[in-house]
Amino acid sequence: MSAFVIAHNTFRETVRDRLMAGVLVAGAALLAVTQIATPLALGEGRRLTVDLGLSSISLLGLFVVVLVGTSLVAKELDRRTIYNLLSRPIARPAYLLGKWLGITAALLALALALGGALALLLAWRGWMVSAASLAQGVYLAGLELAVVAAVAVMFSALSTPVLSALYTLGLYAVGQWSDDLRAFAAHFPPALGRIVGALADVVPNLPLFNMRTLVADGRPTTALHLALATGYALTYVACVLALGAAAFERKDFK
Amino acid sequence: MSARSRALTRDGRFAAAWATALATGALAVALAHTAARTLPAPRPLEELAYYPSGRFIEPATLGHAQSAADLAWLRAVQYYGEHRDTDNHFARMAHVFDILTTLAPHFTAAYAFGGFALAQEGRDFAAAERLMQKGVDANPTDADLAFEFGFLYYVKPGGRDLERAAEYFERAARLPNPPPMAARFAAFARQNAGELAVAYALWADVRAHSPNRYLRDMAEREMDAIRRAWAARRLELARRHLATPGVQLVR
Amino acid sequence: MQIPTSLEPQRPAAGRSPADPAGLAVCARGLGKDYVHDWTRKVTRGLDGLDLDVCRGEVLGILGPNGAGKTTTLKILTGLLKPTRGQAWLMGEPVERTASRRNLGFLPEQPYFYDYLSGLEYLELAGRLSGLDHSTARPRAAHWLERVGLGDRPRLRLRKYSKGMLQRLGLAAALVHEPQLLILDEPMSGLDPFGRRDVRELILEQRARGVTVLFSSHILPDVEMLCDRVAIILGGRLARVAPLDALVADAGGVVEIRCASGHGFELPGECGPIERMERAGETVLRLADGAGVQRVLAALLRAGVPVRAVTPQRHGLEALFLREADAVDAHSTDGAARRSA
Repeated sequence: MSAFVIAHNTFRETVRDRLMAGVLVAGAALLAVTQIATPLALGEGRRLTVDLGLSSISLLGLFVVVLVGTSLVAKELDRRTIYNLLSRPIARPAYLLGKWLGITAALLALALALGGALALLLAWRGWMVSAASLAQGVYLAGLELAVVAAVAVMFSALSTPVLSALYTLGLYAVGQWSDDLRAFAAHFPPALGRIVGALADVVPNLPLFNMRTLVADGRPTTALHLALATGYALTYVACVLALGAAAFERKDFK
Repeated sequence: MSARSRALTRDGRFAAAWATALATGALAVALAHTAARTLPAPRPLEELAYYPSGRFIEPATLGHAQSAADLAWLRAVQYYGEHRDTDNHFARMAHVFDILTTLAPHFTAAYAFGGFALAQEGRDFAAAERLMQKGVDANPTDADLAFEFGFLYYVKPGGRDLERAAEYFERAARLPNPPPMAARFAAFARQNAGELAVAYALWADVRAHSPNRYLRDMAEREMDAIRRAWAARRLELARRHLATPGVQLVR
Repeated sequence: MQIPTSLEPQRPAAGRSPADPAGLAVCARGLGKDYVHDWTRKVTRGLDGLDLDVCRGEVLGILGPNGAGKTTTLKILTGLLKPTRGQAWLMGEPVERTASRRNLGFLPEQPYFYDYLSGLEYLELAGRLSGLDHSTARPRAAHWLERVGLGDRPRLRLRKYSKGMLQRLGLAAALVHEPQLLILDEPMSGLDPFGRRDVRELILEQRARGVTVLFSSHILPDVEMLCDRVAIILGGRLARVAPLDALVADAGGVVEIRCASGHGFELPGECGPIERMERAGETVLRLADGAGVQRVLAALLRAGVPVRAVTPQRHGLEALFLREADAVDAHSTDGAARRSA
């Protein structure tokens, strides 16, 4: 299927980008730095390491999404490499899907690599952390990145790399607050509350993918949580990519 | 090609994409709502809560300590509200307010709010005291904060600490821009602690300087009561029976 | 496959009546493209009422100045632009369907590629996206890389390729899946004479295999050498389309006879105006009317004059092209002088 061919190519493109190597090095460096700080942590070293480790997966992944993901399509439009692709028998939605699959695969690989490094570090320091819990935490972090990547690909198809980056970051930030938005909506007068509530629904519900607290406490989460998070991620991604496909369908490549 | 088959292609694909977006979007929203209903509510402060100390956080905020403090404040208020409405279990509150006030040492409202929340709902007077002390140390010329500290002692659940209350009320009264009631609260506290001499002096001060006629009259009355108590050598005549403060959590 | 039922009056392309598009390699009816400026909403007609039929196996050249609508036409055919009006089919499939591109090889003007890929990887990607499966794509990619002269360094990254190399690679990418229809936008651009020769050879090779080739060009000699028919697009409309011979024959032709000088002879009358020049040890006779050639030759031979060459002087495509352009200008409403874009 042509989407997979494009996905493979996009994965190759992302991984060959020097950025990825840099991000991996940065991740390793961050983990190392946490170890310097742990003596200050007054006994909370394990917590610190786990939390910073998981946070760094999310933040470094976000970094990759913003720098690479937002220009994935925009760069092709700009440099006209897209003519060589879309003049072949590929449906435009398949193209977007392939782009998303490729970058998500790269992000998941990044999450796994950093997650593995974190696990090794914890083992080396002799800190016991529930493997299931850590694995779940990394998985959910990966899902979060997949959702943000879909947003980035959509904006990339519609806008310039710089604007796409801004919109994606903005949506990420508001997405982290979606729970608060929903809570605030209950306290507003009905009309405003409905608007705020709708906004809370539209932005990606990113706290759903955050189980850093649980992992720091060494506790795994429920199967229900994982199922809901996975379902939400897939449907949200499908929605965003479909919107991108609709806009892309109308586009003229001058 | 007929108009119909053209619709199946270019415009058809456009419509199909929109339909897919709406359907999957609706499903995503439904899942999010299900999650909000069925999963345990994420505790917003939990992320902050297990950072070992505010001192460690500050470098991490990369210069945005005040914004971080603002966010922390919002979260703290939320935390309080959530737990106040649910389990009245404020395990992490002291820690959270400690972080908040380390990030923003001059955020006096945080000390006051945190102090009272800890003392009352949190039932941890020692923590409240520590927090307020930290506040007063960081803001030695803030009369309002000193007054609040005094008030904290004044309404200490299980037994007012009138000496300490009076100490801080007096301190507040001496600082620049004191709250108007500091002087008379000081006098009142001293009087009810049995320190009539000090109380007398404080009331005299109120009578001399208060712009409010009612308060001057009140001061006069109290001074009168003290004189009578001295005269009768019965100190309890000047003391009022003050109820023991307790905390009643009404849902 | 449905017969096209366009509402616009059908303009038959030279000698062909509107036919079942399935029989033609390319069929366009009433194609129009309007460009709307984002801010001012001003509408510019890029293309207006273009009808074109291209038979299977022929080589059609598209000529026109910059901005005439050549690239617009090609992009509509390849699905990169949506026509505002009209319809088009490739090998019988409407261009709105992705299936129409299954048998298509397209070389865009100034092709750009992924510079992090090697030539081999890029051709493999192109092949797979055009429907080749994994086992076929790799050997084909290697074959075509070799065929365009880039096979000696298959692992070289595209960012190190020169312009000429990129152009060749683009051609290889258009051919890797061995399509039945080639659409090439300025295939010779940026190439030196060797490169152009190679491209010409490739095109002729494909034509010999029955592949239909549609290419646009500025370079008239190339068009003259390769094409069966030529379409001239001016101002967004199709000005002329005809077989090459017919086009240049239309122009009428002077015939030039070169013979040795220093011989006396008499020219017969009734041969129409004959111009006589002496040039570099030769006598050159130019007959305005080619009909009298035989009589003049007979006269020369009778006089024993060594005849060196008899050359029909075609007006050539360039003259024809410029004439068409002037004709269009004369009819255009605003009478603006034609500028090169």
